[in-house]
Amino acid sequence: MNKKRNIVTILGWIFVVCLIIFSFINKAEKPPATAELYAMDTIVDIKIYGANKEAILKEVIKKIEEINSYIDSFSPTSDIHKINENAGIKNVTVHPETVAIIEKAMELARNTNGAFNPLITPLSQIWGFRDKNYRIPSEKEIEDALNLTDYNDIIISTDTVFLKKEGEALDLGGIAKGYTLDCLKEILDKMNGERALINIGGNILLYGTPSGKQWKIGIKNPREDRIIGTLNIEGTTFVSTSGDYERFFIKDNKRYCHLINPFNGYPADKIFSVTVVSNKGYYGDALSTAFFIIGKNEALQDAKKFDVDIVVIDCDLNVSCSEELKDSLMLENGKG
Amino acid sequence: MEKGDKLLALILVVIFIFAIGQYAFVSIGKAKRTIIIRSDGEIVQQIPLNETTETIITIKSKEGTITMQVKNGKVHIIESTCHDELCIKQGWISKAGESIVCLPNRISISIVGEEKNEIDSITY
Repeated sequence: MNKKRNIVTILGWIFVVCLIIFSFINKAEKPPATAELYAMDTIVDIKIYGANKEAILKEVIKKIEEINSYIDSFSPTSDIHKINENAGIKNVTVHPETVAIIEKAMELARNTNGAFNPLITPLSQIWGFRDKNYRIPSEKEIEDALNLTDYNDIIISTDTVFLKKEGEALDLGGIAKGYTLDCLKEILDKMNGERALINIGGNILLYGTPSGKQWKIGIKNPREDRIIGTLNIEGTTFVSTSGDYERFFIKDNKRYCHLINPFNGYPADKIFSVTVVSNKGYYGDALSTAFFIIGKNEALQDAKKFDVDIVVIDCDLNVSCSEELKDSLMLENGKG
Repeated sequence: MEKGDKLLALILVVIFIFAIGQYAFVSIGKAKRTIIIRSDGEIVQQIPLNETTETIITIKSKEGTITMQVKNGKVHIIESTCHDELCIKQGWISKAGESIVCLPNRISISIVGEEKNEIDSITY
């Protein structure tokens, strides 16, 4: 009789264990609402988790498409196209959002002493980065283009924008992705988002925290198709990178990349890439461009001034980072 | 054992086997890799990826066409109508979390599944 009861007891326990296992299976996280779209000249990857995910996803896509329609300089109906067409002629009425982005761009241009320059277009043009007809321009061409890159020539008054000289042209490609991520964070805040990951061409918004874990963000190896290291990040953060591998051409064994030094008119070549970890999206986007121009030592110095953390990969593929990131950066070769 | 005990024991054993089976199934299901192909942002095809998968697939988008090859548990692009052919130059991918994007053609190939040290995203 006792033996029989023991068997039943054991089976009872097994049943309890089964229930626990079942509850774990049911607790496995539900898949996110996802979307992949093409905007701002790049690919956008969206993952939204939590109760309100579908509604948030809809708003997020709407916002990205809205900002894209204002700033796409290749589209004849965009605000930026209109401003550039009327450079030196007249001011143009634009959407408040466009004004807001241009104001942020000017703020960053001033604070980086012009290393970030939203009027870089004439230089990108002569190096062939606008029409992908890459070439090395003459000294005279560079000098002439440099004369059209004074960001103080951007005149904003309430809802109008005017570029003083004919030939000047805005390019918000170095700040709009980050600015958009700031807007998306606001949407997530308002709609009680739990967790999200939005990647606009390498500029990432991490929102919330994966259950009990950290976000793992790979940093691209500038010379190989793999990552060079991983950043372990907690909580809501923005991560942006600028590198010489995204758009470039090689002539006589020298690489010319799309990030042009606004001080001398030549493609920047001081480092391979820089990654910025910040709590403001537009900061990360614009500062990664500015830091790429000024190089490793200056960037590590300036990062403190802007209260951001950075990872720099120099021209020998050596990795340096801000003191604050030393514990969260894991390199692929095992060094941390 | 009485009849009722036997029945109870049987039910418990069945539930136990079922639970273990389901748990194992869920774990194995996660470990598997899947190739997800998107054209213009929409998923057009999903293919389980294992060592024996061998196929050549042509994917069309509004912008152009690419051809990918799956072999030995890896994927690469062998042909593309894009001008820069960066997608071809990228070579083989095989791990969950890796992807090939042909920006001009707006086609992406990504591998999903549970990887030991899977990263959430890549900054570039």
